[in-house]
Amino acid sequence: MQSSALHLAVFTLCVTVPSALLVCLAAKFYLRRVRIERPAIGVFNGRDVLVLFVLLSTIPLFYLQLPRWLLTGFLVITFASSLSIGYRPVLGSTKVWAAIGILLGLNIWMGNNALGTVLGWQLFWLENDIIVLLGAVAVANLYVQGGMKLRYVAWFAILLAGYDAFFTEVFPVTNALVEEFLGYPLDPSVGMRWHLDNAAIGIGDLFVYALFVLSAFKAYGRAAGRIALAVVVTFGAIAPAVVPLAINYIDARNDTLVPAQAWFGPAAFITYLLLRRRNGKERTMQEFLASDDVVRPGPDRTAIEDAAPVSPAPTHPQPDRQPVDVNR
Amino acid sequence: MFETGIRQFRMAMGIVWGRKLDPRNIERLVADALATLQEFGEPGADARVLTDGPMTDPEERAHIAQTNLRRTARRLAKQSPFYTKRFASAGVDPRKLDIGHLEQVPVTVKADLTQNASEFLCRDSQRYLATRTTGTTGKPTEVWLSSYEMSLWPAMGALASTLRDDLRPDDVMQVNVSSRATAAVSLDVAVCHLVGTGCRIIGLVPPDEALDALTEGVTLLSTCASYLGQLVVAARRRGLGASDFTLRRIDVGGEVLSPTLAEAARETFGAEAINDLFGMTEVLPVTGRHCSQDHLHHDITMGLCEYVDLDTGLAAEPGAPASVVITPFFPYRECMPVFRYDTRDVVRPLDGTALTCEISGLPATSKILGKADQLIRLAANDIVSPRDLVEAIDALPTQPWPARFRATVDSGRITLTLPESAIAGLGQAAAEQHFNDRGLDVRVAIVDDEHASRLRPLRCDLRETTFAARPALIGV
Repeated sequence: MQSSALHLAVFTLCVTVPSALLVCLAAKFYLRRVRIERPAIGVFNGRDVLVLFVLLSTIPLFYLQLPRWLLTGFLVITFASSLSIGYRPVLGSTKVWAAIGILLGLNIWMGNNALGTVLGWQLFWLENDIIVLLGAVAVANLYVQGGMKLRYVAWFAILLAGYDAFFTEVFPVTNALVEEFLGYPLDPSVGMRWHLDNAAIGIGDLFVYALFVLSAFKAYGRAAGRIALAVVVTFGAIAPAVVPLAINYIDARNDTLVPAQAWFGPAAFITYLLLRRRNGKERTMQEFLASDDVVRPGPDRTAIEDAAPVSPAPTHPQPDRQPVDVNR
Repeated sequence: MFETGIRQFRMAMGIVWGRKLDPRNIERLVADALATLQEFGEPGADARVLTDGPMTDPEERAHIAQTNLRRTARRLAKQSPFYTKRFASAGVDPRKLDIGHLEQVPVTVKADLTQNASEFLCRDSQRYLATRTTGTTGKPTEVWLSSYEMSLWPAMGALASTLRDDLRPDDVMQVNVSSRATAAVSLDVAVCHLVGTGCRIIGLVPPDEALDALTEGVTLLSTCASYLGQLVVAARRRGLGASDFTLRRIDVGGEVLSPTLAEAARETFGAEAINDLFGMTEVLPVTGRHCSQDHLHHDITMGLCEYVDLDTGLAAEPGAPASVVITPFFPYRECMPVFRYDTRDVVRPLDGTALTCEISGLPATSKILGKADQLIRLAANDIVSPRDLVEAIDALPTQPWPARFRATVDSGRITLTLPESAIAGLGQAAAEQHFNDRGLDVRVAIVDDEHASRLRPLRCDLRETTFAARPALIGV
């Protein structure tokens, strides 16, 4: 029995909106508090975006050729690397490797043994979601703390928009990847199961969303970060979930696969152009770290603000406050 | 970021395998370093490894030095006519050279280089630029450098300078060294070009002209100690002070710099730092720098530094006066390399106590005391060095900078000949007491100021004439 399009849209919204919000807010929380060790020399630049784009475009083709055990091996290395880079500064080496071992080990065990029931699927997704969200938060911070500017993120998003549309609608590599990953350990998506339906959003999409919010926040401050978050939620989470109600995205396997970047990329790029027009030059990482957008150890006003998510009567007026305040 | 990683990997592999480095690759790393500083304000973790090498562990340091030394010796045995003969006559197999027994290979001295210059040229390299020593300590020596060396050294220098914040794109560097020091001047220009720093080559012109230029937004000054002394004297005579200058650092090399003159320069020009650097044409690109605790730290990534006893030629004991013997490594030195070059610059090796200075990762010695043949031996353990004398003379209340003197020994006592102005208003007895207070039992002799420059050659005496300094002839 197939669920209705409306049911699927609502279910998808329940997955995409919280996961997009969670990855962006967690990434921002991390950016304000944790410093990832960076190499002696090196800033993320435009050519790195091209390299990243080429890698992200070709690696899926490579994945599709691998036997299952080898693919799982690659995913273990990828997740272990990203988690260790991102959380060693927080937990220290011993704890982080123990946590990675437990998280990945449990995921592999559940992926192989727990998918016989709906509850098993749900538990698997829940555990998998934690790994994917943590990974996306870590890598997005690695790049933004490495100097990646909003300009590069915007170009990256627009390139991915074309890529996503092409490889979903014309040459269905994305569809093949979803099929390849679904129901196996370390699925690089955040998802959930409800009865017979699975809804998921890819780690690549979440990674770009986090990058966009972080780089906007780093470049232009809190107001820009909120605008970016609103764009992410609207065009990266809501739009992909509801457009199947109007546009037929059902593929040959009867799956609904929406190229989320095709919706998000242009919106992100336009947002970048508007932010640049309004704010001018982006802040450097040095300027960002010197600003009060960073939470410093000890009693700090911004830290107190952050600890209280709802602040109905701010004592200090925010001159750059935006109408959309989903970040708070 | 990805490209930078690949460039660093290429550079590291070149160093590990001992192959010629790609200067263009390092130039791009300089641009990467500048971009990094612009974005972050400072380099990331382990920047010091890039500039000083991963060599804080003495065992690892010795292992790397041995590998580099053998590689350098193998090449010299093959490509350098001088060292082909030298290794053969010493019965040394370059592949089996032991860093602990290098005395098997006789040191190369200045006379070898001046008398057999062409034999030092390596067969597999192309001459590009000749540079001559200034000859202040004897007959000038000519050293040929290849195009590879003249591209590689500025690139490596610019990378280190950028990461150490020695050079910034908004700096303006004024160079007051002899314009005939072609290598030094060319390197300064090239390094500034790579970093984007303004570079003003002025030479050893009359100090007042250099002072005028210094007041025009110059932030870095590169000169020699004696000329710095002349600049300080000229500035004070004209009533110029720290507020008239924008200098943040003064680099001095090639001569003994006394603490008194350094402090006077700091006060007069308002410079935050006075860098006392060691550099020598014959052993380029190996250099040395002083730390805040007055140690001299030689570069050990590009060459081997030995400290050999002046009498025995063996490794000197801590505290004993020792000559600095340097071997620049391949692939850093290519065209006309030297092996175990005896600089005759005397230092005292430090004891084994762990260093606590900001460059403690690099081995250190005392400051340079002077040239070995200028040491005055009054008794077996009673040595007076040029540094002792320069520091004492510079500390005279008459501020006779730069220190001009001649020291001779008569009947076991030093006769120190000074220009008249050095003790003007002080008197001979008070001057002798001044030296005595500093542990120097000297008899002071006086000459006219006109004869001062004949007492001891100084680099500032390589004065270059300019039309601006000439008196107007019309109307005379």
